[in-house]
Amino acid sequence: MKDKSDTHLVEYAVLATLAVIISLLFYYFRYDHGVLIFLSGVSSFAYIVWGVLHHALEGRLTKFIAAEYVVFGTLVFFLLYTVLNF
Amino acid sequence: MSVLKGKKKSNIVKDWREQPKSIEKFQFVHHFLPHPEEKRRATLLSNRAIIVYCVAMLLIAGIFRFLPKIVPGVLGYASDIAVKDLLTYTNVKRKEAGLSELRLNSALTSAAHQKADDMFKDQYWAHISPDGTEPWDFILGQNYDYIYAGENLAKNFNNSKDVVEAWMKSPSHKENLLSSNYDEIGFAVVNGVMEGYETTLVVQMFGRPRNAAQVASVYEEQTVLEKESAATAAVSEREKEPAVEGAPGTTEEPVYTPTIPEKPAIDVTMATKTVSAVFGGFVGTLLALDVWYSKRKGIHKFTGHTVAHLGILILVVASIWFVLTPGIVL
Repeated sequence: MKDKSDTHLVEYAVLATLAVIISLLFYYFRYDHGVLIFLSGVSSFAYIVWGVLHHALEGRLTKFIAAEYVVFGTLVFFLLYTVLNF
Repeated sequence: MSVLKGKKKSNIVKDWREQPKSIEKFQFVHHFLPHPEEKRRATLLSNRAIIVYCVAMLLIAGIFRFLPKIVPGVLGYASDIAVKDLLTYTNVKRKEAGLSELRLNSALTSAAHQKADDMFKDQYWAHISPDGTEPWDFILGQNYDYIYAGENLAKNFNNSKDVVEAWMKSPSHKENLLSSNYDEIGFAVVNGVMEGYETTLVVQMFGRPRNAAQVASVYEEQTVLEKESAATAAVSEREKEPAVEGAPGTTEEPVYTPTIPEKPAIDVTMATKTVSAVFGGFVGTLLALDVWYSKRKGIHKFTGHTVAHLGILILVVASIWFVLTPGIVL
């Protein structure tokens, strides 16, 4: 039987891998603001999906927690968009 | 389950009734720290608070977008771009690709300056002007008879290296930069107000003259660079001195448009980066406090993962500060 902490570790590893891939793409396309805005949207959406799936797999997903990931994902997008818009 | 039970709870309530200020202090602290009894995050980290931060950032971005329309030239892009550096970086890239270096040509330089001036005058950002003037018209206007010619444009950049790097990242601009069809090059780095923003336009024009013997010599290249430096120095001096009306009848040799770096009242790049860093840093600090205080007090909240939020925010703020650079190429 799989340990709960093992599953936790795998889910965090997925998040870390996503973060590394998106960071590398950000660096590669650092001069193309159009691509960067698209990447910001994708990374925010990916974070929301990760959060919802992670809590659903843990069996502790509530509307409040889902909303929390949506607002944090939106915040991440606006932090990047404010700079990339200019 | 609440820890405040029985006698202990009634004592605390009695104490608070006697000292209402301590309640206020208790409530104020939990704007920043998690709530042990209610098992929730700090008020300033609530979903509502995060929505308020998002709306505030949108409003600030809106102000930065509309302010230049009301007060042109206040917001802008500070730059430190020089023709000599652009030429050096361009030729370094060509050498790395095994190509010959390009010579700076005075006619192409004048054509590039005319193009930049035209873009500021008619407020456009394109290879072809609204009245249909093409880049080749500016080149031919300088009596430069060419076999091949090309144009790269850039605006809002901070430094010369970023301009050349951005061109190299774009396939069509890279094709111009690393083309073996060109022998000569001309640059214009011109400051002005575009769509209300104080900015620097960079025009790069390439060419191969029909007559191979016309390719610029080292002497001509040096002359163009000296002319650029002289124009920059002249404008620097003029800016220091009060404006004087020119004496009638005197004719001056035309000098190139100033290329000295100008600083706008508010550097839009720094301003937007600061706004994002302030909001991101504030939320990040509250999340870090949440992790520390919850661990210290043994508070188990039924929320999302604070460490995950914190990690993503740190990454985003670091990207904003160290990776994102202003500038558009065309």
